[in-house]
Order: sequence, then C-alpha cells, then structure tokens
Amino acid sequence: MVQQLTAASSVEIRKVNKFYGPFHALKEIDMVVAPGKVTCLIGPSGSGKSTLLRCINFLEEYDSGEVRIDGALIGYETPGGRRMAARRLREMRRSIGMVFQQFNLWPHMTALQNVAEGLIRVRRMGRAEAEARAAEALTKVGLADRMLNHPSRLSGGQQQRVAIARAIAMEPRLMLFDEPTSALDPELVGEVLNVMKTLAAEGMTMVVVTHEMGFAAHVADQVAFMEKGELVAMDAPAQILQRPEDPRIQAFLRTYHERNAF
Amino acid sequence: MIEVFRQYGPALLSGFAMTVFCWFVGTVLSMGLGLILALVQRYAARWVQWILRVYIEVIRGTPFLVQLFVLYYGGPMVGVMLDPVPAGIVGLTIYGSPYFAEIFRSGFNSVSRGQIEAARAIGMAEPAIVGRILLPLGLVSALPALVNFSIILTKETVILSIVTVPELMYQVGRMGAETFRFVETNLALALFFWALVEVISRVGRRFEARLTQHLNTRA
Amino acid sequence: MFSWTTYWDSFGPLIWAARYTVAISVMGIGIGLVIGALVCAGRLSPWIWLRRFAALWVSFLRGVPLLVQLLLVYYLLPVIGLNVPAMAAAVFTVAICASAYISEIWRGAIAALPKGQTEAAAAIGMDPVTQWLRIILPQAVVMSLPALVNELILLVKASSLVSVVGILEITRASQAQAATTFRPLEVYLAAACIYLAINLCLAMLGRWLEKRMAV
Repeated sequence: MVQQLTAASSVEIRKVNKFYGPFHALKEIDMVVAPGKVTCLIGPSGSGKSTLLRCINFLEEYDSGEVRIDGALIGYETPGGRRMAARRLREMRRSIGMVFQQFNLWPHMTALQNVAEGLIRVRRMGRAEAEARAAEALTKVGLADRMLNHPSRLSGGQQQRVAIARAIAMEPRLMLFDEPTSALDPELVGEVLNVMKTLAAEGMTMVVVTHEMGFAAHVADQVAFMEKGELVAMDAPAQILQRPEDPRIQAFLRTYHERNAF
Repeated sequence: MIEVFRQYGPALLSGFAMTVFCWFVGTVLSMGLGLILALVQRYAARWVQWILRVYIEVIRGTPFLVQLFVLYYGGPMVGVMLDPVPAGIVGLTIYGSPYFAEIFRSGFNSVSRGQIEAARAIGMAEPAIVGRILLPLGLVSALPALVNFSIILTKETVILSIVTVPELMYQVGRMGAETFRFVETNLALALFFWALVEVISRVGRRFEARLTQHLNTRA
Repeated sequence: MFSWTTYWDSFGPLIWAARYTVAISVMGIGIGLVIGALVCAGRLSPWIWLRRFAALWVSFLRGVPLLVQLLLVYYLLPVIGLNVPAMAAAVFTVAICASAYISEIWRGAIAALPKGQTEAAAAIGMDPVTQWLRIILPQAVVMSLPALVNELILLVKASSLVSVVGILEITRASQAQAATTFRPLEVYLAAACIYLAINLCLAMLGRWLEKRMAV
C-alpha cells in the first residue's frame, strides 16, 4: 500500500516574463500543474527551463505575470506589486522542496546534519527529533548506512539522494527538480530516478527539468517543451514524445535520439 | 656572555611578552573588525559599501609607519592621546582590518551560490544562512590566508618600536646601544623572528589540514 | 585647529623627497627581479643543495622583518669592511628582501601553467631548454605581471622603513617637517596622501595589466 500525502500543492503560472537586461529569457509563460501531478520540462539547453523552475520558488525573480502556489502569489504582494516580505517568502518556500543539478550539499556537515539542518533552523525542531526525522528521510532514499558520512565521502548518486532527503524531510507539498541527474555518471542515474518515481507514486506534485526522456515518458503526467524562452507545447507525454506536431519538437527529439543511438 | 644575558635577560623577556601581547590583541581585534567590515560590505546599502571601500583602499595604500605617526603624533592634536602601547594596538587593528576584510570577502565569495540557494530554498533566514553556511564554509576557505596574514602581522610588530612601544625590537635596540654590539643583537633578533615565523606557519598548516580533512574529495 | 596651510605647504618638500621613495622601490624591484629569477631557478633546479639553499634564502628573508634586515645590513657592512653609503645599503636590503617574494611569485606562475603546455611541446619533439624559453617563461612572465605590480606597491610602503637609517625619503622628510612646524597631524596626513597617490596609480596599472591579460 502506497503511503498517501496529506496534501499536495498546485502550481499556476500566468503570463510570466523574465528579462536578463535586453535578453527575453521567459516569454509569456502559462502553465498549470494540478495537485499530485508530475510535470517534466524538456527542451534544448538555454531554453529557459531552469529559469522557469527557479521562478516557482522565487530563487529567480520574474519581472511580470503571476506564479501561484495553491492560489497564493509567490514573490510579490500583488501581481506587479511590491516584493513580498522576506519572512513570508521563507514560509512559502518551506513547503516547496528543491533539488539542484549540483546537489549543493553543505560540505561541512554529515549527510544526517545536512538533512536535519532545515528541521532545526527552519522548523525549530529539537535536535533529537530532527535527527530522528532526518534518519527516516535518509532511510527512505536508501542511505540508512551512510548517514554519518560527509558529502565528500559519497558518490554523486548518493549525494543527490541526500539532497532529495533534505528536501522531503521538510514535508513539502511540491518538489522542484533542476536537472537532478545531469551531473551524474550514467550508472548512477537509475538510483536517483527510482527515488523520484517513488515520490511520484506517493502523490507528490513534482516539476522536473530533465533530459531523461524515459523518465518523462513513464512517470510524467504532462510534458512541457520549451525553446528560446517560449513554452512551445504542453501535453500528455505520449503526445509530445511520440506524436509531436511542432517541427521544433521533432528536431529536438531527432538530435536526442541520434546522440543516444550507438 | 652569561653576564650580558643576566643583565639583559629580564628586559628581553618583557620585550618578548610585549611583542606577543601586541601581536595577539592586535590580530584578534583587526580580524574581528575585518570580519565585520566584510559582512557589512556584503549586506549593507550601496553608499555604506562605498565608504568602506574608500577606508580599505586608503589604509592599504599607505605605510603602517605613517599610519602610526598620524595616530601617535598627530592624534593628540585632535584630542586622541594614546600611550605607546594602546596606540600600537589601535594602529595594528586599523592597519590589519582592511587586509582581513579582503580575506574574508574572498572567502565568502568562494562559497558556491548553489549552497546558499539550497539554504534559501528550504526557507532558512538570512542570519541562519550566514551563521550555518556562509561563515563555516567561508572561514575554512579563508583559513590559509588568515594564518598567512597573522604571520605578516607578527613581523609588523617590530615597527611599533619606532613609536617607543617597549617590545622586543625596542629592548634589543637598547641593548645594542649600551653594549655597542649592534650586529650580534640584530642578528639574534633576525634568527629569532625566522624561527618564530617558521614555527607559526608549520603549526598553521597542520591546523588547516585538520580542519579541512572532511572537505577534500576522495582521491 | 587643523592647519590647511601647513598641510598644503608640506606637499612641496615631501613630493621632492618622494624621488627617493620611488628610486628605492624601483631599484629594489629591478634588482629583486634579477636575483628573484636566480633564486627561482635555484628552487626548480635538479641539484638538491641548490634547491635547499634557495629555499633557505626565501624562508629567511620572508621570516625576518624588513626593519631588522635593514638594521642588520646597515651595521654589518662597516664591520666587514664595506663602507657604502646608507642609500646603497638600503636599496640592497630592499632588493634582497624583494627577491624572496618575487621568486615565489614566479614559482607560483610556473606551477600554475597547465601541464598540457609542456606535454604539447614535448610531443612535437621540443627539447627541454626550448620548452622553457619558448613555452613556459613567456607565459609565466606575463601571468606574473599583476603580482609583480602588487609587489612594487608593497615596496613603496616598505620603503618608509629606510627612514630609520637616515635616508630622506617621504617618511623621513615628513618627520623633519613635523619637527620644524610642530604640526605632525597635517604633515603626516600629507605624507599619507602622497603614498596613496603613488599606490593608486600603481594599482590602476595592475588592473589595466590584468584586464589586458584576460583578453
């Protein structure tokens, strides 16, 4: 029996624009992610996938439009209005987990401390309770035996699983993955994807920037294709990956298959 | 020889104690001030950063000796009357702070953006990020430079003798003047500092190695 | 009251004295570059005793405060029968001290060259001497330029110490000026301004070099 999450968040993105100086990085992006659903963002590098993902927890500031988590606007007090108070932003981020391409574990802490840190500093838990919870999260990602290791003693796949444990220990209702397997050696990709699949099966809302088309095809509920800051198409995985209508998607998938053919 | 030592031993010992005292207090204070400067530079408003930049450039652009003269001889004209020892310590603090500030700044800059972002993403507040991520990681990467500059400061303490702080060089100078053995006394002083600096840097390296053990990726 | 008159009047004699500051620093770095190159070559040489001697040289000169070195040389020279002017002794000491730092700058620059550079040269059959002259040194010298400018800035500041052996550079001149005007604050601030001006110019030169190298 699969353990069900008590609540999963929805994400609504409306007419979001982002500029780096004169460069138009995100163009009028619209996207809705229903609670408990998995959305994969694919597309060539530099297409704005990561930027869009980072707008969802406001690590990247969007310039116009709205990003809403469970209906609540993130980053600004009102659409186009003042920046939200830092405290309020932190509260919203608490329920959004994020996993980075480069893991970003804190090298001066053990795996256990990495996971417990947020529980202690943000959730204000006592050390014992936090460490018990952290141990639970690490067990869930299959690292019960590596809890006391520093990140430098872990493989890339193990580090990324610690990073996932760090995020899920905070009991998020939404998880963001920014190319979680791109920095890994090919043989380590599987262990990370498996953990992600478990999370998806438990009903976590997930937004995943990825180049793993297999994961997108089998786990995602919807796939969004981006190019040059535009959301070209968003549909069921089969529609996008097997019967793409847009020539840009066809071209992207062709290069992808060529590169992965032996 | 023994006679000379019996006569000057106490003065030399007190000079050594004074050197260590000035160095230690001066280093701790200038390191503290440097850390504050670096943190303020990172988080304060643009114009505050600009003022600190000017302070850093002015102190780094002028000789320590001239700074001491301004403080010790010029200070009384604007009501800052300091005895030699406090003047020396205040001087060392002012002189060292911008170098330490720059060391801390580059230490902070070496902490990868991602590690800070990871803390932001789980909702950590800025003071917690500074205390738990920025400081521990930044300090470790700044450590070699911190040790190095502290060693440089041991050598700068001899300059305090010029404003009559009774530290080691001052005592050795008196001893030389009374015995007319300038060469021997200065040679002994040189050898002493050489040994001191070698010992401190060796201890510093061992200390660094221990602190950074778990940060090194496996070979 | 701060006397602006004394402050402005100090600049004349102090700038005149600055020629000694500049002369000592420039000669110091010039001679230091030559000795530093020899020391660096010694440290990288295949002969262990030469390596040890060079390492000792560097460690001693970097471990002993320049002020102590200055007095040591100043008192030592007459004892061993060399009666040279104080200025020569000062330049000599500053240069010797600088050589230790400069040799380390060059050693660092050489070590920072990617190994692939010499390997590529060896792969096309270049002999070791040519590798050094054509591949390693040109790159290392260019790479070390900003650090050398920085060393020159350090020397300008360090040259204030030669005032203790009576050379009338900026600091010594300002002491004399302060004694006659009884206005140390104004005079020493003027001296500080002159040092600052010299060093800011040098720092600009350093940044310009760094920018050119980055291209």
